[in-house]
Amino acid sequence: MSAREQDKVMGHAADNDGIEEYDNALPAWWLWLLYGTIVFAVGYTVDYHFISKRSQAGEYDAEVAAAEEAMAAVRAAAPVPTGGAANPAGAIVGDPEAGKAIYASTCVGCHGPELKGGVGPDLTDSTWIHGGTLEQITHTVASGVPEKGMLSWGPVLGAEKVAHVAAFVHSAGGGQ
Amino acid sequence: MSQPPPNYDDQIVRRFVSVTVIWGFVGMLVGVILALQLAWWPANLGLPYTSFGRLRPLHTNAVIFAFTANALFAGIYYSMQRLLKVRMWSDKLSAVHFWGWQAIIVAAAITLPLGLTQGKEYAELIWPIDLAIAVVWVAFAINFFGTIAIRKVAHLYVAIWFYMSMVITIAVLHIVNSLAMPATLTRSYPVFSGLTDALVQWWYGHNAVGFLLTTPILGLMYYFLPRAAERPVYSYRLSIIHFWALVFLYLWAGPHHLLYSALPDWAQTLGMVFSIVLLAPSWGGMLNGLLTLRGAWDRLRTDPVLKFFVVGITFYGMSTFEGPMMSIRSVNSLSHYTDWTIAHVHQGALGWVGMTMFGMIYWLAPRIWYRPLHSVSLATTHFWLATVGIVLYVVAMWTAGVTQGLMWRGLTPDGLLQYPNFLDTVTGLIPFYWIRVIGGAMYLVGLCLLAYNLWRTATAPAASSQLEAA
Repeated sequence: MSAREQDKVMGHAADNDGIEEYDNALPAWWLWLLYGTIVFAVGYTVDYHFISKRSQAGEYDAEVAAAEEAMAAVRAAAPVPTGGAANPAGAIVGDPEAGKAIYASTCVGCHGPELKGGVGPDLTDSTWIHGGTLEQITHTVASGVPEKGMLSWGPVLGAEKVAHVAAFVHSAGGGQ
Repeated sequence: MSQPPPNYDDQIVRRFVSVTVIWGFVGMLVGVILALQLAWWPANLGLPYTSFGRLRPLHTNAVIFAFTANALFAGIYYSMQRLLKVRMWSDKLSAVHFWGWQAIIVAAAITLPLGLTQGKEYAELIWPIDLAIAVVWVAFAINFFGTIAIRKVAHLYVAIWFYMSMVITIAVLHIVNSLAMPATLTRSYPVFSGLTDALVQWWYGHNAVGFLLTTPILGLMYYFLPRAAERPVYSYRLSIIHFWALVFLYLWAGPHHLLYSALPDWAQTLGMVFSIVLLAPSWGGMLNGLLTLRGAWDRLRTDPVLKFFVVGITFYGMSTFEGPMMSIRSVNSLSHYTDWTIAHVHQGALGWVGMTMFGMIYWLAPRIWYRPLHSVSLATTHFWLATVGIVLYVVAMWTAGVTQGLMWRGLTPDGLLQYPNFLDTVTGLIPFYWIRVIGGAMYLVGLCLLAYNLWRTATAPAASSQLEAA
């Protein structure tokens, strides 16, 4: 490489509309960048598929297993409030006024500002899919209905806020 | 200024330059409207025709196939006649190419707002228009290779190789990805289904970027940059090696658009590693561009053409560094589906493609209208508006994208979503969306300055006396 003359022209200008080209060598750092990426590409492929034997499905399984482990500890430390009779008797009395504010920030997206439903079901009609007593509503809010998209709000809001929002839904929605 | 060449067809170049600016205005205006819709939803106007979902493909198609493609054709028709020392093989085919391409653009601008689409990104146009694209492209290809066949030079300059890679590859990509069975005049069913369809789509999508927005623009850089700088190209050897590496590697990188999808793991790995190896070949183009300017850097202070080229090439270097990084699995799991991708493509579209094409047009204008550019200072103003506009746009979308990605994956210690209400991840980004509106609008105003400058140049009365002075 050192023997190559710097800025020696190729002599194509007559064919190139007057544009001359130097016969300069490839910059060394550029060449090493090219070789480096090729080595990385081969190494990564061999490692991913044949040494570490990683995969998309394996990555998912590992994440779920780690989450299960973490959740087991969380569940043991703070049992999910189930509301009503399952709570210590009279421990929390829900305040509908406090529940209204929680509803407006947390529930309104699915159940609508007038509780008339939308993504989630209407809370003002006479049909209560999971029961319309205060106890049942508290349980539905706290534990959720994951298969239908209703999250378990117990761990997010805590027992007190769940009680408030259930009291609000029970009174404003005409619970049984 | 330059003498009118004795036997070259400059009219076709003037036509393509003119429509580049007109369609560029339309495409970028729609882009600014879309940016406004994302920051302020009433800009959807409540009409189906102006809703985001219909205007977005209009924006991408207009910018890629109307603004960029017409600019490419202008530069190719100008440079190849001079590099091959011969007029285009057939003026009739040149005209078929020009008018056919404009008719296709008009058809796209009508059908997309009507909601007629194939639903493939960057290949939305319905089958009759797809067919017309294939016919017009082949007409262009015949004229292109016909001109090479009758050339009066022995040596084919590097720019011509880059153009050839575009002419051949775009034809193959477009025809294969558009293969479909027509059902009615406006509806068709693709011959590929499911995962195969997705893989073909992104083989097409990625290489439309590669062979329409990258290789032909590099070809134009190889012609117009040394002409404008009046300096020899830094390295002939580098131009050969990075050309072949680029065209070989690009075609394998498409699967990086389908990381963490139903695509088999081995195909995802293939897309990722080929993208990483693409870094050096891409930077080869950047290096050859910037090093060609050795000895001409002082002219950067006064010449807006070189200013545009330097910023364009710098954005090329940035986005071709970012692209391989984003194809790494772990980075992609954060960046995919977020505004980070929008930042990335606009570095390429506004930075690399737009700035390089503006530089080329400012250099071409005096040479195709045979009179001096109306205003150099207006061109410099355009340069600064566009540069600041891109920076605002890209920084806003980087920030928005990373914020969005982190909000989507954020979990509470209890293992629940930190932002369970998706709307929170949208409203949090609105300030960045407003910054994007401002950046995009600045870029659009810059384009209007270009349009005015060209109009004044083309209609300047004192052309003949200028000619004699030159």
